[in-house]
Amino acid sequence: MSCAVEQTVENLPPRGRGALAQLMRDPMGMTGAVLVVGFILLAIFAPLLAPYDPIQIDVRHKFQPPSLAHWAGTDQLGRDMLSRLIWGARVALGISMTATGIAGALGLLLGLVAGFGPRWLDAVLVLFFDSFSSLPMIMFALAVITVLGPGITTLIIVIVLVSVPGYGRLIRAQTLALKGADYIQAERTIGASSARIILYHLLPNVVGPLVILLSMDIPVVIMLEAGLSYLNLGVGPPTPSWGNILYDGYTSLRSAPYMVIAGGIPLILCTLGFTFLGEGLRDALDPKLKLRVAR
Amino acid sequence: MIWRTDRRGLLKAGGAAVATLALGPKMAWAAMGDTLRIRMAGDYQVIDPFGEIGELDDIIPRCTTVTLVRVGDMRDGNLLSNYAAEKIGWASPTTIAFTLRDNLTWTNGFGPVTTADVKYSFERIAGSDSAWAYQFDQLDHVEIIDDRNGVLHLKEAYAPFMITALPYYAGHLVCQKAVEAAGGSFTNKAPAECGPYLFDSWEQNQKVTLKANPDWKGEPVAFQTIEFFIVPDDQAALLAYEADSFDFTRIGVSGLRSIKNALPAGAALIEAPSTTYTWLTVNQNAEPLKDLRVRQAIQYAYDSDAVLEGAYDGAVGRSAGVIQPTSPFARARNIIDKRDVAKARELLKEAGAENLTLTLIALNDSTSQTVAQIIQASLAEAGITINIQSTDEAAYWSVGDKTAGDGYKSIELVLMSFAGGIEPTENLVWFLPDQIGVYNWSFFDSAEYADLYHKVQLETDDAKRKEMFNRMEDLMEESGDFVFICFTPYIALHKADLKPVILADGHPDPTRFTKL
Repeated sequence: MSCAVEQTVENLPPRGRGALAQLMRDPMGMTGAVLVVGFILLAIFAPLLAPYDPIQIDVRHKFQPPSLAHWAGTDQLGRDMLSRLIWGARVALGISMTATGIAGALGLLLGLVAGFGPRWLDAVLVLFFDSFSSLPMIMFALAVITVLGPGITTLIIVIVLVSVPGYGRLIRAQTLALKGADYIQAERTIGASSARIILYHLLPNVVGPLVILLSMDIPVVIMLEAGLSYLNLGVGPPTPSWGNILYDGYTSLRSAPYMVIAGGIPLILCTLGFTFLGEGLRDALDPKLKLRVAR
Repeated sequence: MIWRTDRRGLLKAGGAAVATLALGPKMAWAAMGDTLRIRMAGDYQVIDPFGEIGELDDIIPRCTTVTLVRVGDMRDGNLLSNYAAEKIGWASPTTIAFTLRDNLTWTNGFGPVTTADVKYSFERIAGSDSAWAYQFDQLDHVEIIDDRNGVLHLKEAYAPFMITALPYYAGHLVCQKAVEAAGGSFTNKAPAECGPYLFDSWEQNQKVTLKANPDWKGEPVAFQTIEFFIVPDDQAALLAYEADSFDFTRIGVSGLRSIKNALPAGAALIEAPSTTYTWLTVNQNAEPLKDLRVRQAIQYAYDSDAVLEGAYDGAVGRSAGVIQPTSPFARARNIIDKRDVAKARELLKEAGAENLTLTLIALNDSTSQTVAQIIQASLAEAGITINIQSTDEAAYWSVGDKTAGDGYKSIELVLMSFAGGIEPTENLVWFLPDQIGVYNWSFFDSAEYADLYHKVQLETDDAKRKEMFNRMEDLMEESGDFVFICFTPYIALHKADLKPVILADGHPDPTRFTKL
């Protein structure tokens, strides 16, 4: 019995400093972390870093190419592109992190309940997960936007609704796998409450895969927000969003091709950053992968 | 399929790319020749003249049926000429006699085009709830003399009748027997056609194809096939034109500067004044806009200079109404001619409407979106928050339509643009009280305006007509329901070896496009 417990514990994901140190040793993970931290700082300090008001129109200076005064040029309304891109980071990260955060928390809660709760509740929740997972994401997003109208809140609602089933399924599967483990049975034998088992034994062990999935999903959400904003179904003007910046660039492609290039760079870098970070975290936290590498 | 990144995979990909590049131009050329490819901004909806709505709705019937007379290219002075009528002219101040050509035949075995068809076509619209009923306001009845001869009897003398009623929209003839057999109306397929082209196929929101009518005995057409490609976005259309996807496309004014700087090879540019007028509709029926002072605040806060420079490259001046600035009947200037943000704030304060939030509906093309964003910024300076709601063409036209529900009562601001006519009354008609819920989306309801509209139709003294027209536009502005923006210039790109014909409303007449 003790041997089995030791083996399971050994296979559990590293936590805290161990995972962080492993992440920093991985060049891809390190690059991702630097990019993500950079964008987060950019978003937080946007009011200090943006050289101009991002929504201030100055039509006499529209379509100014990149210069010392306007590093990324000006758009079709004379707004400073760099300032809009910096503020756009706040929108992109704000929406994606809020939405994935809420979706992750809900998925965690529902997954634990489904995996650890009574069978009938599990069946109901699985039906809910399956029903939502079967909806085509874009079509579902368009339907919700049609009903609620475009905007940041609607975007967050859409993202939460389409993401929760995936997270819930993951946590449920992890919970089901762990709840039959010997150390959980041992806890039950000594009279531990369900709450204690969930909080002290299940939760710490299922959070790792969820964090990996969340970090991998953030770029997907950023792209979804940009895509919907590009289609005028997301963040409305004058709020700067990378999606509507790209749309403005596209409509002015002939006059000012630099707008599309400047608008695309942060989107690419941010997406790459979160993807690299997610992969780095997976390498650092995924016990199966770690075991496979050790063998 | 598995993507191979080895040498063989690379060679395959390279070979395919070279083959595509080599075949591309040939494939494009194969699509040309006898096919005229025209880009349209929106799909068609109704081709029954009774219920026509948009641009293509009028262009398709122009190809597949006939009108008694037709107008020429706007750049050549909109000359009127006979078309289905072999002879037509004023027999008296209130009667127009006509003789139909004897070689016009309906498809599907419905026989020749007769005077009974003319009578049916016009009288079913006159006095009806059709948006085009105004064209026949002055029509009393159509007298049938025989199959080819008839007389249009007017209620009162109205000199512009030939130009305002006969060449377009409700002026298109339909086959009485075929339409009656179809239940009295039709939407996307005419039960009988008689024009130089026949409707061939429709791919919704993609393409409409017309084929030359083999039984057409009129003036020969230059192309066997016409393809209308639906591309709502001007920028996409421009890129597609450069990729040789069209022979003719209208483009947005925002692209004018760059086009002039680098005209695509083999292309010709049309840049002409147009009858298309753009304005901001302020719906006085919407709860937050019921107070005149709030509507006037919007008029004062609107930044015309920024809109004209930002959205139209400074290529046009501000309009003072809906009558073309080049017309002798045009109003000289707006009553609120200068921006005054302080005055706007004061009016809002008086009305207790500070921190006002309104929704502005605009089409999703780049020019409309740019105008909407500048309006948003300029009104923000007065303390009015604007949420822009962008819509596509199909959804847009139902916004103020009373048959689409009660939504038309509460719309707040709408950026609007209409293709106008040659005669001022053709542009002013849309703001009559009976157009509320049809095309009068601002609920502008002025008895004086309606009275002047009817009087001006019968007035023959130009000085008096000008006075009446100007007063009508004053009434529009005084109501606070309108912010006049501009008449957009007509800009189009076409193959240099093609001679297009553009009508006064900006619509192309593909039946008269010729090869050079």
